[in-house]
Order: sequence, then C-alpha cells, then structure tokens
Amino acid sequence: MNSNREVPVDLANPLGLDGIEFIEYETSRPQALGQVIETMGFRPIARHRSREVLLYRQGDMNIIINAHDSEVPRRLQLSESPMIAAICLRVRDARAAYLRALERGAWAVPARVEVMELNIPSIHGVGASRIYFVDRYQDFSIYDVDFTRIPTVDPHPPALAEMHWFGIVQYIGSDRTGDWTEFYRELFGFEALPDEQRFGILPKGRVLKSPCQRFYLQLIAPNPEPFDGDREEMLQRVALGVPDVLAAVTLLRQRGVEFIESPGVHTEKRGALTQARLGGVMFELVQHTPA
Amino acid sequence: MSHFSGNIADIGMDTISLSGTLPMKLHAVKEAGFSQIMLMARDLTGHAEGVTAAIKTVRASGLRVTGFQVLRDFEGLSGNLHDYKIDIAKSMLEMCAALGSKVLLVCSSTSIHASADRDLLAKDLRKLAMLALPLGIKVAYEGLSWGLHVNEFTHAWDVVCRADAPNLGLGFDSFHVFATKTSLDEIDTLDPDKIFLVQLADFMWQEIRSVEERITTARTFRVFPGEGVHSAQLAEVVTRLDRLGYRGDYSFEVFNDDYQQMPPATVAERAYRAALWLGENVLKRSVPIPGQIRLRARG
Repeated sequence: MNSNREVPVDLANPLGLDGIEFIEYETSRPQALGQVIETMGFRPIARHRSREVLLYRQGDMNIIINAHDSEVPRRLQLSESPMIAAICLRVRDARAAYLRALERGAWAVPARVEVMELNIPSIHGVGASRIYFVDRYQDFSIYDVDFTRIPTVDPHPPALAEMHWFGIVQYIGSDRTGDWTEFYRELFGFEALPDEQRFGILPKGRVLKSPCQRFYLQLIAPNPEPFDGDREEMLQRVALGVPDVLAAVTLLRQRGVEFIESPGVHTEKRGALTQARLGGVMFELVQHTPA
Repeated sequence: MSHFSGNIADIGMDTISLSGTLPMKLHAVKEAGFSQIMLMARDLTGHAEGVTAAIKTVRASGLRVTGFQVLRDFEGLSGNLHDYKIDIAKSMLEMCAALGSKVLLVCSSTSIHASADRDLLAKDLRKLAMLALPLGIKVAYEGLSWGLHVNEFTHAWDVVCRADAPNLGLGFDSFHVFATKTSLDEIDTLDPDKIFLVQLADFMWQEIRSVEERITTARTFRVFPGEGVHSAQLAEVVTRLDRLGYRGDYSFEVFNDDYQQMPPATVAERAYRAALWLGENVLKRSVPIPGQIRLRARG
C-alpha cells in the first residue's frame, strides 16, 4: 500500500500542489465570453475533439470555455451568464491526490470520458463547481490529447503586462468562513493569512494561501443583515497578478476593457477591478511580482 | 390557531410523535402554531408520491426544517462496512440538502463491529463533516444511551472535540441524559456554539434499570416536556443550556405509542402546551413583540 515510503512527503504541501493548470467557465454563449477574455489578452488556441469546448491561453494561464450541454441531467442548465465551473490544480500525482481527497470526505464527480480522452479526476467544490487534478503539465500537455490546435495560431502567446494567476474569489454563506477554511486546509493544505495581510483593493473576508505559495483563495461572506439572506455560494471572479497595475490598466483600456472607478472601488497602484460583463464576469488585477 | 401565540419560534416538533401521512403531520404541526419541524428520512422515502414530491410538500408547507435524522451505526467501521456507510451517509446528506435542512443528526454506534478507539471515531466523523461541508450542513453527533462505546453526551463531546471540524458538533437529547443519569453539571463544560441541536423529552417513570428498558422506554413511552416526572430536571437542563449561551433550536423528540393512536392535531396541541411551558414557565420569556425581528447571533 505504502509505495512511497522512501519518498519524503512534504507535510506542508501534501499533494505536491504546483499552481493552477486552468480555470473553466461554463456558458451557453461561448463566443460572447471569448470576446470578453480576448480583450483581457487571452487567445483561442485549440478546440476540444468531441465537445463544444475551447481553450484560451496567455503566458502560463489557460482558460477553458465549456459550452457543451451535457446529456447527463444537471442541477443547473447552462446559463447565458458565464460561471466559473472548475479550477484545475497541478499536483504531483493526480490519482493519489484524488484518492486522498476522497479518503478525507470529498465528493467524487463521475467521469464522463469519450474514447481516447483523458480521464481527469475531479471532486465537487463550492456550489456547482468542480476541482480537477492533473499531474501532466511539464513534458506533456493534457491539451495534446483532448484538443485540436487551431491552425496558424501561436500556441504560446505571451502574457500581456506579465499577467499571471493570482487567485480566485469565492462567495460564501453567512458564518461559513470557518467551514471553507477547513475544507481547503483538510483537502489541499491551504493556510489562512493573518487579517492584516491583504492584497489588491478589495481586502474583505479571509485569504487562504496555497501550500505551493503560487496562488490565493479569498472567501467573502455576505454583509451582516438582520434577516436570513444567505447568498448563493460560488466562485465569483479570478484575480490576475501584474507587476505594474497602472501600466496594465492603461494597456487593457486600449483594448476596450473598462474598469470600475467609484469612490469606494477604483484603480490604484495596488489593484483594479474590471466592470462586470455578460451578467457578472469580472477580473481583478492585483499588484504582484511572481517569485 | 385557536390560542394565543407564545414566544417559541426556536421550539419545534418531530414527525415521529405523529401518526398519519407526511402532509397530515405538516398540517397538524403548523396549525398548532409551530414554525419548524424535525424530519426523518422515512418521511420522505415513505411518501406515496416519492421523495421529490415529499420534499416539495415540505418546502411548500412553510415550516422550517429543524434537522434531518438519523444516520445510525456510522462511525468506527472499517473496510467494506465503512465504504457502505459512507454511501448511506451521502444519500442522507443529499436528501437533507434538498430539504434545505442545515442539520444532520448522527447517533452513536450500537454496532459490535465498531471500534472503541475514540480517535478513530473522530476521524470518521470528521470525514462525514467534510462530506456535509460543501452542502452547508452541520453534523450533530448524539450519544445514544444504548450506544456501545459512546453512550453519554460527555463521551460524544469528547469525540467531537477530537474531530475538531467546524461543522461537527453535539446533538444533545435530554432523554439519554436522564436515562444514564449523567451529571447536569457536565453541561457547563460544553461550548454553546458547538451544540447543533437539542432534543427534549420527558418520560413517566423515575428509574430505568437496564439497557433493554432504556430502548423500550425511548421508543414507546416518551412524553412531551412537562408531562412526565422529570419536569424539574428538564427545566434545569434548558435553563443551564440557556445560561451557557445556547441559542439554537429545541426539538421535541417524543416517541410514544399512545400518541400514535391519537389524531395528529390533538398530539400537536399537547406539544404546543409543552412549548409554552418551556418558553414561559422555564425560560421566562416575554410574549413576542408584533413585527419582532430575531437577530442573528454574531458569527
């Protein structure tokens, strides 16, 4: 059973987590979302072999837009407003990571794999979202198997303004900060940052640091209200790190991206927030230089 | 409603006290003046039109679901038995979530196959809590007085502390406390924020001498608070919990064969009298102010 008894396991990073492989959006309007993320610098790279799924990329970041309406009955039909449907994590051993998560109480997502496609293991995350595990991201790409490259397109477009994944913002219900902190600690090894350590211009809630120290999760509870008004729990937005926020904002504005400029939330050196598109898609910029 | 309304929004009935179909039970509880009800899995699975229709009926009733019961003989198993129980737990959790219930009740194991190692019990309950977590469900672990290794609330509390999961807490049932004669002083050692459900029942005799008698009494001869011979003790339990800072729900966990032979409306009225006794005589609450808003506890 214990095949890796001689391999030291990093207790602080039990899965060998190594950043985000891709973020997946679901929508019934993939072209509209494609246009939005193209203004942010992502370029279409490849199409899925059997489903209506597109891969976009810039630098080290991959975004998958999934418009495949599954035949399997779902709790939620695809909506026009795109939602963040999955985070794919790079780990040392995807199978081991998946089994470890199940052993600790994660819900397995049944695989729906066509012939000759990769079976990427996944578990249920917040709301209707999923968390995938992949371990082939260095010498071999998962996209080489399931996707067909779009001809004449540069498969590795450089990132605009040195953008990179910084984190994901998750909306949670009232009194759920402790619960979700424990979920990410137990299953992946995330740790909460002290309250005084925050990034960007939206410092609310609790920030969890990934054990690979390459990205963050921010948990945001609803404002206290006298009535029971539990908001839906979901992955709300992606945060992108940039070394120079003001330069990145200038560049993105030229490409048609609009930012929120209100007394409460506006562009600063520390960060910026794009205006919501398509019913809620927004990106946060955070001043951050990768190590 | 024929009588005046008391300040009892946090007190509810349990379907196990009532005869009849699910819609009859919901109707009787609501008509008596309660705003919440504790449900058991069989209420859904035994519904004539199926589980989905049962869930719709509950949601349409306007009653809040106090909690969903009961996952039995879950913790301390290994191998295939453990895997089997995880599947059962998932099924219970899915029904619980579909009902909008925030609490799943788990009773301590009576299985001879279960381990006595409390760290192992804690590990399994922690896994259950993780399964419940994305669904927004809290797991309340109750020490059944005829549980094999965990049979007092103090044992259950020890396991909950060892498991140390934010959504795993204690289910406290007064019947079992009286049956095992656990000192009520032990209530003061609990963390009120980790008590996820309090179930109250009285019974008609002073002594329960054997485990068999515990089971028979628990399943057939419980009565509503204030109706039995343990009223003073029951009042002390509730007063202590209130003083400790418990602000969650109280549910009447009353199994009684006689009540099963009475019209649900009559039983629900008895329950309502018990609720008024608790709210006014024991907790000394004032009548509700019209339009009163119950504020959330600070999280």
